[in-house]
Amino acid sequence: MDRERLTRSLDRLVDATVLERLAISLAALAVAVVVGGVIVFLSGAVATCRDPALVLGGTAMCYDPIEVYLTLADGAFGSATNLGLTLQETTLLLFTGLSVAVAFRAGLFNIGTQGQMVLGGLASALAVLWVAPVLPASGLGALVAIPVAVLVGAIVGGLYGALPGAMKAYADAHEVITTIMLNFVAMGVAFYLVRNHLGDPTTDAVQTPSVPEFVRLSPTISGTRFSVVALGFGLVTAVLVYLLYERTVLGYDLRTSGLAPEAAEYGGVNAERNIVTSMTLSGALGGVAGAMYVLMILYRWQTSMPPLGFDGIAVSILAANNPLGVIPAALLFGAMKGGAIQIDFALGVPPELVEVLRGLIILFVAMPEFFRMLGTRAGYGSEEGAVATDGGSEGGGRDG
Amino acid sequence: MDNPARIDRRAGLAGGAVIAVLFLVILVPGVRQLGVGVLSVLDASYVRSALRLTVPIAFAGMGGIFAEKSGVINIGLEGLLIVAAFSAIAVLWWLGGTTGALALAFLAAVLASTAIALLFAVVCIDFKADQIIAGLAVWLIALGFAPFGSIIIWETVNSPSVGTFDPLALPVLVEIPFLGPALFRSTPPVYLLLLAVPFSWYLLNRTTFGKHLQASGEDPKTLDTAGISVRKVRYAGVLISGVYCGLGGAGLALNAGQFIGGGETITAGRGWIGITTYLLANYNPVGAFGASVFFAGLDALQLQLQRVGGVEISSTLVGILPYVAVLVILGFVGKTRMPGAAGEHYESED
Repeated sequence: MDRERLTRSLDRLVDATVLERLAISLAALAVAVVVGGVIVFLSGAVATCRDPALVLGGTAMCYDPIEVYLTLADGAFGSATNLGLTLQETTLLLFTGLSVAVAFRAGLFNIGTQGQMVLGGLASALAVLWVAPVLPASGLGALVAIPVAVLVGAIVGGLYGALPGAMKAYADAHEVITTIMLNFVAMGVAFYLVRNHLGDPTTDAVQTPSVPEFVRLSPTISGTRFSVVALGFGLVTAVLVYLLYERTVLGYDLRTSGLAPEAAEYGGVNAERNIVTSMTLSGALGGVAGAMYVLMILYRWQTSMPPLGFDGIAVSILAANNPLGVIPAALLFGAMKGGAIQIDFALGVPPELVEVLRGLIILFVAMPEFFRMLGTRAGYGSEEGAVATDGGSEGGGRDG
Repeated sequence: MDNPARIDRRAGLAGGAVIAVLFLVILVPGVRQLGVGVLSVLDASYVRSALRLTVPIAFAGMGGIFAEKSGVINIGLEGLLIVAAFSAIAVLWWLGGTTGALALAFLAAVLASTAIALLFAVVCIDFKADQIIAGLAVWLIALGFAPFGSIIIWETVNSPSVGTFDPLALPVLVEIPFLGPALFRSTPPVYLLLLAVPFSWYLLNRTTFGKHLQASGEDPKTLDTAGISVRKVRYAGVLISGVYCGLGGAGLALNAGQFIGGGETITAGRGWIGITTYLLANYNPVGAFGASVFFAGLDALQLQLQRVGGVEISSTLVGILPYVAVLVILGFVGKTRMPGAAGEHYESED
């Protein structure tokens, strides 16, 4: 098969399914919201509360799901502060979502974004602490220190992503298994290093000292840590990743190497090296997420970082692994995280509800067949096509 | 016919063990002192606590073997353990101290885990979901639901203490020197585990069902041609993983007497370690049990040494050992072979 024909068939598969993918994502979202609502409603029967939303045959139902969702939306967008919280989460999710999407594009499932982010963030914090003393504490110093921090985060995250990539390419070790294991190793090693060797000696908490004031990304919305510079960087990164995969030969080679290594080799491409490259790129984006977390949110590295890497999987899957689709998906999950505090504060609903929703969304996006069946039953034609999670262009190729 | 593979496996395990020992020797200061400490805590009570810690890991590992051998990769084992542990404690709390409450709570937990496994099976087998993503979803939903449910019921992420299984001394057997008190003064979940290991091996290797299960994961088309429903066999494989995780999660929670919903929850990654055990053992239930005992034994050792004092192994480094071991095996020794059709959907022709 020559490259021309392969390109055409890939394009056709993608084009034919873009609408279907969008429909599946929206339908999955809707079903997850409904199921989540039922869970909230039913759990209201068990919970104890002072003024229940509804009393059903003597049982006090504490929560009204519609009110819960409205409160969630209000918590996400209701005020400037709330919006800032949402956007700061969105910014981080852009990077972790892109990290997962980049690997998925090449048919590789990188569950290791979390570990890449943890190590990238730690390296980034250490690099800043190391260079900051010799820099002027001014905007000029920031112009040097911030790029250094991001670059170091990307390099360390990238190397940590390259490892499972190489294990996949040269030892045929399943990247799902290796990246899961590497997450635990990253967290353990980072914890050990910071606690025993690199941490802030003045505290018992497992954390590095704070980075100096001038390196921190200054908040755009007061009362939050949201920096519009970081968001802009994330948006530009999304567009660049999109262009890389859709408009360049390298992007094309990366995609085919992961999805159809034999075909890629036949076309004169080194598939092994490209698999490693894809995973390196994916890991680098995870590392940048870690750097952003340090520079924008916490101003230091601390153990037990939030599970942004796993959220990134949800973001990427909901976006059908499209780098531009990652933008609205990151906003949606950012809003859920930003608004979670409000449902706890205003209604007493455990904020972990949004984590249940995250899982439900992943689950429903993963089962397009369910929605096709529903569609067929409702009288629409059934259509064989790609599933939403196969990397964007594999389509029915494997079964067919 | 599988001789070469077996030799590789042995070499792999030996290599892994050597690396594991080196890992400990290099990274732990005061190894000699450690040796003395270790010897002083190796007694019957140590074996009992190691076996208690083995329960969730080994059950998850063996359950994972049945699912994956049938062709469905169940990466949601950790989630199933969480579901079972939560259900066990919630039901026990609800029943209070009535007689038989422990047994009922145990049963309810197994049912809950199996129900979620059934859901997972429907999603993967009938709705053709990507198994990895669906399994991940099971884990993430459970991980979110654990603190959510705990807060709903107990208004905090951790449950109060609700009671544990008492050790059950088996008459006569407990009189055997050392082995008796080490093995036969355990809690019921430990006995169940000791029975489940040979049972699993037998079921997988010596029964028609086991043969069907393996064929379903290796070559579903041939099984289908022989008139056996691949769908049913795969459902059975996934459901067994649900039952096993139910036993493991309930055993874990009812040995501890409490549910912890914060962080990684009470299961603390034991479902993932379960996955490492069967990969290290190349899908052999007995080997998976052995690896589970080894990892749980290290965990217990580190707990005991902390108690004795004077010797401190970094619990973090002991904690990541299973993952490092499996990475070494997968990356450098190789030859853990996944069933040929695992992860792929099978479409029957009729």
